[in-house]
Amino acid sequence: MLLFATKRVARAILTVLIVVGCAFAALRLSSDPALVVLGPDAPPSAVAAFRAAWGLDQPLWQQFFYYIAGLLRGEFGRSLLNGADVLPLVGSRVLVTLEIMIPALAIGILVGVSAGAYAALRHNTPKDRLVMMGAVAGFTVPHFVLGLVLVLIFAVHLGWLPSGGNDSWRSAILPVVTLSTGWAAVLARFTRSSVVEVLGQPYIRTASAKGLLWRAVIIRHALPNAAIPVVTTIGFMVGGLLAGAVVTESVFSWPGLGQLIVTSVAARDVAVVQCVLLLVATAMVLSNMTVDFLYTLLDPRLRGGRH
Amino acid sequence: MTLLRLHKVKRTYSTRQGLFGETEQVSAVNGVSLSLERGRTVGLVGESGCGKSTTGRLALGIELPDSGDVTFDGTRLPHPNTKAWKALRRRMQLIFQDPLGALDRRLTIGAQIKEPLAIHKIGSPADHEGQVHRLLAAVGMRPDQAASYPHELSGGQRQRAILARALATSPDILVCDEPVSALDVSIQAQVVNLLLDLQKEFGLAMLFISHDLKLVGCLAHEVAVMYLGLIVEQGEPATLYNEPAHPYTKALLAAVPDSTRRGPRPLLSGEPPNPAARPTGCAFHPRCPIAVPKCSQVEPALLPRADGRLVACHLAHVESAAGEKVS
Amino acid sequence: MTELASASAARPATRRRPIPRGVVLAFGWILLMILVGAFADVLRPYSITALDLSARLTPPIGFGGPITHPLGTDELGRDVLSRLIVSIRVSLLIAFGATVLGVFLGGTLGLVAAHFRGLIEQIVLMLIDAQAALPFIILALSVLAFFGNSLALLIALLALYGWERHARVARGLALAASTQGYMLAVRQLGAGPWRLYVHHMLPNISATMIVSATLAFPEIILAESGLSFLGLGVQPPMTSLGNMVGYGRGYISSAPWILLFPSIVIVITTLAISITGDWLRDRLDPTVS
Repeated sequence: MLLFATKRVARAILTVLIVVGCAFAALRLSSDPALVVLGPDAPPSAVAAFRAAWGLDQPLWQQFFYYIAGLLRGEFGRSLLNGADVLPLVGSRVLVTLEIMIPALAIGILVGVSAGAYAALRHNTPKDRLVMMGAVAGFTVPHFVLGLVLVLIFAVHLGWLPSGGNDSWRSAILPVVTLSTGWAAVLARFTRSSVVEVLGQPYIRTASAKGLLWRAVIIRHALPNAAIPVVTTIGFMVGGLLAGAVVTESVFSWPGLGQLIVTSVAARDVAVVQCVLLLVATAMVLSNMTVDFLYTLLDPRLRGGRH
Repeated sequence: MTLLRLHKVKRTYSTRQGLFGETEQVSAVNGVSLSLERGRTVGLVGESGCGKSTTGRLALGIELPDSGDVTFDGTRLPHPNTKAWKALRRRMQLIFQDPLGALDRRLTIGAQIKEPLAIHKIGSPADHEGQVHRLLAAVGMRPDQAASYPHELSGGQRQRAILARALATSPDILVCDEPVSALDVSIQAQVVNLLLDLQKEFGLAMLFISHDLKLVGCLAHEVAVMYLGLIVEQGEPATLYNEPAHPYTKALLAAVPDSTRRGPRPLLSGEPPNPAARPTGCAFHPRCPIAVPKCSQVEPALLPRADGRLVACHLAHVESAAGEKVS
Repeated sequence: MTELASASAARPATRRRPIPRGVVLAFGWILLMILVGAFADVLRPYSITALDLSARLTPPIGFGGPITHPLGTDELGRDVLSRLIVSIRVSLLIAFGATVLGVFLGGTLGLVAAHFRGLIEQIVLMLIDAQAALPFIILALSVLAFFGNSLALLIALLALYGWERHARVARGLALAASTQGYMLAVRQLGAGPWRLYVHHMLPNISATMIVSATLAFPEIILAESGLSFLGLGVQPPMTSLGNMVGYGRGYISSAPWILLFPSIVIVITTLAISITGDWLRDRLDPTVS
């Protein structure tokens, strides 16, 4: 188990390094920050001075080395535009994103899991099919379409809610609904198939044959076992959450991480983009790793570390 | 005339867990010598994991031994996937345990019987159709079954189709690895009879690998019993079955259901063999009912007895020597 | 009895079941979209850049609009129907190209990993991990913004969407197939790699790969429209479904039809392909998720 954990952590670190390295190389090779910041008409002496000040005149691998060394000291770089430390900037935007992401995730899990379990317990009935049709629809409607339709109905036509910004809690309602719909749909599908599979297992049939109340069988045996794959799915959804957040924030002008990446990409602010990529990759790798460990803990068969 | 000779072949597998895992040595075949002759069948029996299938692959040259050598027609087998090796496939063929798995389920039987002809460029493509019909007839199938897919046939018919494919290149050697253990007993008999007929007709040398002693006794001219990568007893089926000399052979024979036997059966006890952790001395000693201290220290050699049989057991030789003195 | 069971398990496609009505409808819609895309130049009543400043922001037929512009016009008086038809062609072409490229890339890497094992396999697995650690849209945003965008780059980038899943599937299938008796059997007949892979391996894994591609296709359409919506995908004067929605967003209160029609097409198309993909998967290969 310890060997398994060490190898898994080493692999996770290596993955983050590969992502950061590729991003670093791609971003540095694609554009010259000096020309971006100073403009194409800047005098060559100013460009040279800028490059020397930012260490851009050194070979790429050396810049990467300094970058990694800086990361280890907790220095994530400075914004090329205003020289501000990027970490507080990115951090504050992360918090704004979490303001809609956490409620959306909570609602998505609550609605998705209960709808999926409901459908599974009424397997192959019209109610099951209705829930699943809703799930497929919720899954295929892209965030930006759903968001705009909600704006059209609730902001433009009915005038009940604001169409964007983050002035009050009311402006968070539409983004939260937009984000949670997709996740609820995915989770409903997963929960349903997981519960249906567990219900077909021999131990469930044994438990009900022993004369236990069906309700007790479901609560004590079926749901805990069905939870394992559902929990892991939630872990693997983190990437999808972030992707959805980028588009949703753009639709509702919500000033979070997604907006930050769109604006800094447009402004060619390499340091900010790099910091966001690093954070996102770390978050993804961490969540995937947590899922792996959870899996090993929850499923005794995998404990040997063999796949 | 000896066609194929295995001389003291050894094969060890190393398994590794992941990129940085530790390697583990598993010795599958630990020094086996066998020879195959035209028109004769050698039966190889033993429990699963005893190395009999690996021996079969070594005999075919699908894998090379780590030490020892395999000679075919007087020359050593070439490296796998070389040109010479591919050409040699024409002369040696393998019959598998799982007839459905050994056939590509997306191709018709006819197309698959044609494959070896195409690979080895035997005859012109125009002749292949007729060739397929002749082969199907040889294994007792109808010509129209060439158009059927594997899943449309019964298990016995599939095994016949595989036989037809193996015979397409008119091989000299046929290695059958548990060819009938996936089939019903009544169909087993049909396939075994077919194998016997084909051997007579084509003069094949056969290596017949099975865990079923009774079955091997029906068609082998010589039987070799394997335990943990070694042959422990080898001889003609009649003598070997009537008075087994090695305690492992005795135990295997005792495990065969027999309505005429009276009294309790001496069943195999103890841990099943694990090739990764070979016991010292005679590998069988932890499970042997008559083991003496010497058995755990000295590995017995496979030596001939007076009746011409080969046995690897300290006690069996003592016993036979004692018996000869008495008589 | 066992014979029957194994036969039907091996080849479920031979059992004839009626195709569900939803799948038929989905098929019909996909066919319609393909036809619209193929004959876009014949079907569109106007050029997508033809301005009609006298008929700006006219609503669709039934909402007070004239028959000359059945789905209304946009702020520059361009015909929404014509733009929709061309957008369908562009979006489908991009998604199709990206899917094919992605399956080819992922499939090849997966097969290479399974064939060579060892270090090469570890490198491929590492790449898969790295790709899985970066949400596609964030990768796409960075690349498109810094490299500028051409249609070729957009398609190549979208091909990266899901390649790691195809690679995983192909590697798994190839590893499973190489332990199968038939691969061993053909190898020991003396067959070379060409016969092994092209005659035997590919036909046996293609069904699953097609299912994997069908499941990725709607996601690629969504990814493309998402990027175009953010202004980083297809660039004007060319148009795509996501691009139209992004443009229509500015007129959501005055002319909602500009964004509603492409939205509807996106949703129904992805829904139709998802339904077909699920049905194909259940039908051909229940092992892919």
